Amino acid sequence: MNPSMKLLLLLIIALEISFTTIVSLNVALVILAIIYLLAHRTRLRTLGWLVLLPLLPAIGLWSTQYINGSGDRTLMAWVLFTRIYAFVFTGATFTLTTDVLQLTDSLEQNWHMPAKFAYGVLAAYNLVPRIRHEVQVIRAAGLMRGQVLSFWSPQLYFKAILISINWSQNLAQAMRSHGFVEDAPRTHYRQIPLTKVDWAIVITGVILLQIGVFVIPWT
Amino acid sequence: MKWVKSWYLNDIILLALIGIFFGAIFMGTNFVYNVLSAALTPFGLSGLANELLLGLWCMPGMLAGYLIRLKGSATLGELLAATVEMFFGGQWGITTLISGIVQGFGAELGYIATGYKHYDWLGLTAAAATTTLVTFGWDLARNGYFKLQLWLLILYLVVRFISMFVFGGLLTKAITDLLDRSHVLKSTH
Repeated sequence: MNPSMKLLLLLIIALEISFTTIVSLNVALVILAIIYLLAHRTRLRTLGWLVLLPLLPAIGLWSTQYINGSGDRTLMAWVLFTRIYAFVFTGATFTLTTDVLQLTDSLEQNWHMPAKFAYGVLAAYNLVPRIRHEVQVIRAAGLMRGQVLSFWSPQLYFKAILISINWSQNLAQAMRSHGFVEDAPRTHYRQIPLTKVDWAIVITGVILLQIGVFVIPWT
Repeated sequence: MKWVKSWYLNDIILLALIGIFFGAIFMGTNFVYNVLSAALTPFGLSGLANELLLGLWCMPGMLAGYLIRLKGSATLGELLAATVEMFFGGQWGITTLISGIVQGFGAELGYIATGYKHYDWLGLTAAAATTTLVTFGWDLARNGYFKLQLWLLILYLVVRFISMFVFGGLLTKAITDLLDRSHVLKSTH
């Protein structure tokens, strides 16, 4: 399926379930998402992590409503508990089956997002492992001078911003020297098609969601 | 398309890099968050851990608005940070994107309210205040805050503003002071 259309559908789902209080709908979405993930050969261990990771925040939200809520506290507690899982599992149908390259290609080709945004973000994205390492380097360099840099130290962020400025200029220069011209028309090697089937899936999905929210009398 | 023209490749990469750097630094707070959240859960106050640390997560937007003085930079900075986080280990998936837009736009409103002219205490405090209000409005629905008892709602709101002010105001100001003193910003814009 076209990545940006998938993202659109999932955004609509996430937004709409944020304003509903139907436990069964959330559970139904989780089950649908699990079926989708299994069909895409997601490993069971990954699914297990998806259940475990949100458990603490989900229990936190549950207890907040159960102890300090007003009105129907039990209902709201379970709504929020299942909503977290609906978010995580529907979100995983996107993040586990689509990579950032497909999404930026699709946004650029199908929705005419300027190429400089697509490739600029990709350039930065590919530096994630180096950035993680660099944070450790900054901390170690601080320690050598007896400075403990923690997440509340302005110096840590200052150094990170300095490196970002430096790298951003180098990267932009590297891209230009490889022939990237801002705002110039481009041809595409990787084609991302946007078909009528994609539109049909999104429209059907949204209609089914409305039926789930407004028509089905969940108990 | 005039808006698009005012952005250069350097700026876009810079915003994305800052978002990722900050994300990498925040990883260290996950442990604090989890312990705090778990300790408060039996009292039904686990949201407090979120309220205390939320200011941190909103810093990229506020700083982006300060660093790159273009319309939309705060929103874009936070959105880019959220996009990368969504693909890199964030289990929250799509909602990360929504939060990114909400938080970034919240910060943006502060700069809009001060006419994109106050890159000082006034601008940062305004950004902290608007971010608090906008993100809180979203949590009323998303995290079911509208069903909470009033005293808790007020407590959350106050703690959230303090967090926004400490991280988005005090810490961001300290960082921007260091940047101003080093004169690095002139070379980028």
